[in-house]
Amino acid sequence: MRWIYRVCPVTGLKIDRQADLLIRAHGVAATVALLIGGIAAVLVLLTRWQAVHLLDAVWFYRVLTVHGMTMLIFFILFFEMAVLYFAGPVLLNCRVPAPRLGWAAFGLMVVGAVLAEWMMWTGRADVLLSSYVPLRAHPLYYLGIILFAVGALIVVLQFFASLVVAKRERTYEGSVPLITFGAATAAIIAVITLGHGAGIYIPTFLWSLGLMEVDPQIYRMVWWALGHSSQQINVAAMVSVWYLLGALTVGSVVLNEKISRTAFVLYVLFISMASAHHLLVDPGFGPAWKVVNTSYFMYMAVLASMLHGFTVPAGVEVGQRLRGFTQGLFGWIRRAPWGDPGFSSLVLSVVVFGFVGGITGVTIGTEQINIIAHNTLRVPGHFHATVVSGTAMAFMGLTYYLIPLIFRKKIAFWPLAKWQPYLFAGGMLIFSVFMSFAGGFAVPRRHWDITFSNAPFDLQFSPAVDLVMGVMAVGGLVAAVGGALYILITAWSVFFGEPIREGELSNGHVRSAAGAGESAAAIA
Amino acid sequence: MHTGMQSPRGVWWKPAHRSEKLWFSLAFGWCMVLFAMMPFWHWKGGQNPSGIRGKVDPADFRARVQEFIAAYQVGMDGAFPIVEPPPGADIYMMGQMWSWTPVLKLRKGVEYTLHLSSVDVNHGFALYPINVNFQIVPGYDYALRITPTEAGDFRVMCNEFCGIGHHMMLGRIIVVDENGEVPGQAAVPGEGGGLRVEPAPAGEAGEGGQAVAGEHAGEAGAAAPGAEVSR
Amino acid sequence: MAMYGLPPGLVNPPRPLPEDDEESLPVSGRLGPAPGTLVLVLIFLAAFAVYYFANWKMLSFLWRIG
Repeated sequence: MRWIYRVCPVTGLKIDRQADLLIRAHGVAATVALLIGGIAAVLVLLTRWQAVHLLDAVWFYRVLTVHGMTMLIFFILFFEMAVLYFAGPVLLNCRVPAPRLGWAAFGLMVVGAVLAEWMMWTGRADVLLSSYVPLRAHPLYYLGIILFAVGALIVVLQFFASLVVAKRERTYEGSVPLITFGAATAAIIAVITLGHGAGIYIPTFLWSLGLMEVDPQIYRMVWWALGHSSQQINVAAMVSVWYLLGALTVGSVVLNEKISRTAFVLYVLFISMASAHHLLVDPGFGPAWKVVNTSYFMYMAVLASMLHGFTVPAGVEVGQRLRGFTQGLFGWIRRAPWGDPGFSSLVLSVVVFGFVGGITGVTIGTEQINIIAHNTLRVPGHFHATVVSGTAMAFMGLTYYLIPLIFRKKIAFWPLAKWQPYLFAGGMLIFSVFMSFAGGFAVPRRHWDITFSNAPFDLQFSPAVDLVMGVMAVGGLVAAVGGALYILITAWSVFFGEPIREGELSNGHVRSAAGAGESAAAIA
Repeated sequence: MHTGMQSPRGVWWKPAHRSEKLWFSLAFGWCMVLFAMMPFWHWKGGQNPSGIRGKVDPADFRARVQEFIAAYQVGMDGAFPIVEPPPGADIYMMGQMWSWTPVLKLRKGVEYTLHLSSVDVNHGFALYPINVNFQIVPGYDYALRITPTEAGDFRVMCNEFCGIGHHMMLGRIIVVDENGEVPGQAAVPGEGGGLRVEPAPAGEAGEGGQAVAGEHAGEAGAAAPGAEVSR
Repeated sequence: MAMYGLPPGLVNPPRPLPEDDEESLPVSGRLGPAPGTLVLVLIFLAAFAVYYFANWKMLSFLWRIG
């Protein structure tokens, strides 16, 4: 295949046409998944809000399964594949090593996702995201997930291959950029994750066919090795995107490569065994195992996050100070471009992820404190602050730059786009905090009816719970509006949007088509 | 100075600035505190998920539960036996789709060893309102040494999805104080036999009937339409 | 109708910075090159400690379990 490339007029990077197309395909697939998962989210929300109680019990657990699988696995992994193609071939100026394989992998991911969705929506997989054995789904459900995972693994391997190709063909000088390094750690964790995924879904697939036994406690252990490691892919990818957004929006600097890269390496080393924090009140493991795995191992990953929590904002601060924003302690942030949705997404992602997601997560992941938190709403309260207000928010912010840079379209509904991050993150913040609050009152997660209207005994939660969950629901609806706005803006921009004309964007300045001097190099 | 999108020039393994080293030390020190709190609480604290853990065949566990009920039953609470064990006893609560069996009547300040297990799928033992939560896994016996510290009429929710009846799964633990009373309740279940408690919505009265729980027990083999259970 | 726009980072990108490293770091005394960030992360650590120990306190109200 002849290598066709263009030179980006803004960054000067040489971009393989195949990389362009593959990023677009994965980005569109991610957005479709976000739409399905988002509709599911609203339906679940309107059911847990007992005042509305929209879905019946069967459909609630069904749609809850869809929401978890579609958002946490399909949406996020499709987007991360796009990030890998950007951090590899695009940032390193090199070609996609095996484009046909890349398209085959994409196709496999789509087929797997569609198969799993079909099984879920037709009621053959009412098992929730975690599908704890002995709850059993139709074999094709597990097969769909396996196909999706194999496709993702191929994309990850192609990313590693692009690192080799770029080095060999000398398309960059010195070490890879920090963002590529971060993406590489995410990719390594992805291999660990997908390995565990194979380790649990293949036996479970065989079990669903009646061909082997699976012990329920071992299932939980291996599934969470997949489940938590996948979250660490999300963290490493999110942090890489933080550095990328910082660079694009305000030219933030890397204060110290050694610290940032070491922190990424800590993620790789320590995350798999830290999955133990999902098993702290399980009967199958002793306290010594629980303590060692949650502390020596998880806390090193926590340390890494705290390091990035310093270096990312500090990079923004130094970058701003060097460009003249030196007033007082916080002039650099007060006078930053808050109207740039890429920048506001970055800040909101860092703050909500750290202050709400990180703090609640480490706390409830403590062996003994887990007793008062396990399977209450404190758990989803925590992870909506990390993976939604953190990772998804950062990905959304990045899209506002990827659409002009990769799709070469302008952003539609620009005045609304400036508000979208605030709506989404603000709504999610209220949603997560109030959900955690309800969990503090012992409200269970994954539960259709907390009035216990058909139970043999009565149980009345404190009247405060109704209020708390009502506020939570309102926050969630605001976030849903923010999410819907994001989908509208990005889909419109991509499919109906105004293209950026040749010569209109160059080395930073928008030129009028009439006054264009040198235009960008050959657009293939 | 360069951004994260650019390759660093030359050797980038350089010492960090003093303020970065300060933050690293503080963060690392905090992580050590986080670690130390857990063994500390095992040593000095009163709440640990240690327990006595072991594997158990679900049929054997069910048999032990029946023996336990037979030995210490003092009455019926709807369709559920009320069991009042002696201090220090091995006591049992069995989770199944979709009920907790039996109803326990305990004394405040007394230690018991509470054996928790499931005979079918994963369940979540969630004691309300004090917010004690444990994972109940079929094939495993989680025996927790517990000492109730207050009297009251507690509920046991299930907070691990276990099929279509999950949200109806509710059990009961009564803790009486030194005088044998639950403060604020006129009569305590289990005394004088056949005591009615808050009426179940299905409206049955009388003992020995296949009441609300019985309806659910009959469905134990059929989970949600889309999920089956294999034993 | 669709009111198109482009993000400021592309329309008016940040001024490139000189290549030399540590010499150009604007050090503001003891707090280092990023004093605002240092203050923010210290506030974060304080919030963390408060939330964390409050949870241990809440745990201590439970029955004895072991």
